[in-house]
Amino acid sequence: MNRPVAQALVVVRKELKDAFRDRRAIYSVLLGSLVGPILVGVMISAMADRQREIEDVAIPIVGRVHAPALIAWLEQQTGVTVLDGPADAEAAVRGRREAVVVVIPEDYAERFRASRPVEIRVVSDGSRAASRPKVQRVLGLLQRYGSEVGAMRLIGRGVSPAVVRPLDLVEVEVSSAQQRAAVILNFIPLFIVLAAFTGGMHIATDATAGERERGSLEPLLVNPAPRLVIASGKWMAAALSAMLSVGITTLLCLAVLRVIPLQDLGIRFRLGPAEVAGLVAGALPLCLLATAIQTCLATFARSFKEAQSYMGFLILVPMLPGVLSAVYPIASQPWMYPVPILGQHLLLSDVLGGKTPGVVMFIAAAATTLAAALVLVGLVTALLRRERIIFGR
Amino acid sequence: MIRVEHLRKQFGGIAAVDDVSFEAPDGSVTGLLGPNGAGKTTTLRLLYGLMRPDAGRIEVDEVDAVADPQRAQARLGVLPDVSGLYPRLTAREHIYYYGELQGLSGPVLARRTDDLLRLLDMAGIADRRTVGFSHGERTKVALARALVHDPRNVLLDEPTNGLDVMSTRAVRDIIRRLKADGRSVVFSSHVMQEVSALCDTIIVLARGRVVAAGTPDTLREQTGRPNLEDAFVALVGLPADGDG
Repeated sequence: MNRPVAQALVVVRKELKDAFRDRRAIYSVLLGSLVGPILVGVMISAMADRQREIEDVAIPIVGRVHAPALIAWLEQQTGVTVLDGPADAEAAVRGRREAVVVVIPEDYAERFRASRPVEIRVVSDGSRAASRPKVQRVLGLLQRYGSEVGAMRLIGRGVSPAVVRPLDLVEVEVSSAQQRAAVILNFIPLFIVLAAFTGGMHIATDATAGERERGSLEPLLVNPAPRLVIASGKWMAAALSAMLSVGITTLLCLAVLRVIPLQDLGIRFRLGPAEVAGLVAGALPLCLLATAIQTCLATFARSFKEAQSYMGFLILVPMLPGVLSAVYPIASQPWMYPVPILGQHLLLSDVLGGKTPGVVMFIAAAATTLAAALVLVGLVTALLRRERIIFGR
Repeated sequence: MIRVEHLRKQFGGIAAVDDVSFEAPDGSVTGLLGPNGAGKTTTLRLLYGLMRPDAGRIEVDEVDAVADPQRAQARLGVLPDVSGLYPRLTAREHIYYYGELQGLSGPVLARRTDDLLRLLDMAGIADRRTVGFSHGERTKVALARALVHDPRNVLLDEPTNGLDVMSTRAVRDIIRRLKADGRSVVFSSHVMQEVSALCDTIIVLARGRVVAAGTPDTLREQTGRPNLEDAFVALVGLPADGDG
């Protein structure tokens, strides 16, 4: 093996050994890797629960004795149970004891027989977003009962129900089930990208700003190793740690997706070896760039503290495309793929969304990302030649 | 063998090292003596290649250290002014790390490490992590890793600074032994007895310039003071303690 490569590997090995004896470093890798999968699991489980809640609806009805036919029809619908309503419907909803209460008036039977509209009150609190799906479901059920009864009455009078239905609304859902899943699963790329940034952060700062603060940089640089070798060794050690973190995050997210009941959300979700390979191929180049940025900033920083505060700001950068696309999905354009960080985010979203971005896109994203990383490592090398950097300012 | 000619280094218009020339032959100890701020540390940093001189030549065993600092560094063992350790690595791992960076490996490195651990009387601390080491123990580790590649030239920046009596004696023994092995040793100090006890040649620095050079005896003769400390005070032109 040639000498500089061997020396760089010596640095890599030392930095990894040193870091993984540090409990804080291990915690920072684990924390960065675990938060994502846990949050994804909790979020998707919560969504699945809410979905189930809408389908399995228990409706408190005040005055159910006045409309036995309506109650019987409701109870025949799948997932619907009817409960006795509270004494004061509005107080119960305002007090958040109930999400929705249906109130049937005493004159129901009388007006019904006379074919006069019956006022049925559906009491809800519009400021509570969480109860909205349930309210919608209740309103939908009552409207369906109303139009069914209406249709029967028209038929009874010899009129086709189609006459009073000039518009026939049909909702057409164009996204495939997997694409709909991608919207929800958009958080996974975000967490994988975050892991790339948190996983190597500790080594990147400890091996540069920390090394100088301990006073071990000067004796280290007296060894006959080119600065590029020292810089690359430190960078690679941080990158490997980031890759480990990305690996853990990816595997745990996949494990979470296997365990939680995705079918309850109407999501068909397939993750074969090809998808896993796609995730890894998309994320690994980012580890190289993320740690190159961190190594560069931490070498430049005047102190370990300053380096750490840079790292805090840096975390925000990878969150940008993730947060934006979680809020409103960006229509991905081909030119976005070679943009470092954004490109990786799109690749990961595509893979999870069941789209296969071409191999060209993977190569383009990896190439520009690697190029940016190498430029930054070159910058670290140049910084390590500066007397001000070596001896502190 | 180290040869320095007309070395010059400026920081923001102030010459920290100004036209310094000297020679440190093999098998001898050369002392850089001077008050704080005299340019001792800067001179050594120029020698071990972490600073570039503005002018002048440095030769380490005939290698031009300014043009090819790495080849020179391979021939130098250096104990810098600040020699921090890695608290989570053991003493032995420190020696291995530098040995591997110098291109050593396998049984050669293992044997060399054992030799150094014995030479520096470090058997008891060899496999302990360096966190919590005493100042003397830390200096020994820093010294051992600096000598792992068996360098012909050794540069020590205030090696006994802050050490207790026993550790100071140990470091002085090492310096004598390095000299006996035929190496060129350059060390800086502001401790008079140390310099007079160890050095074959003393280079007295003040305000970045060489104000005198020679054996302890020549210095005493030059200044006409029988006491080396008086000679030093006369040469440096004190008050030196205000001269940061």
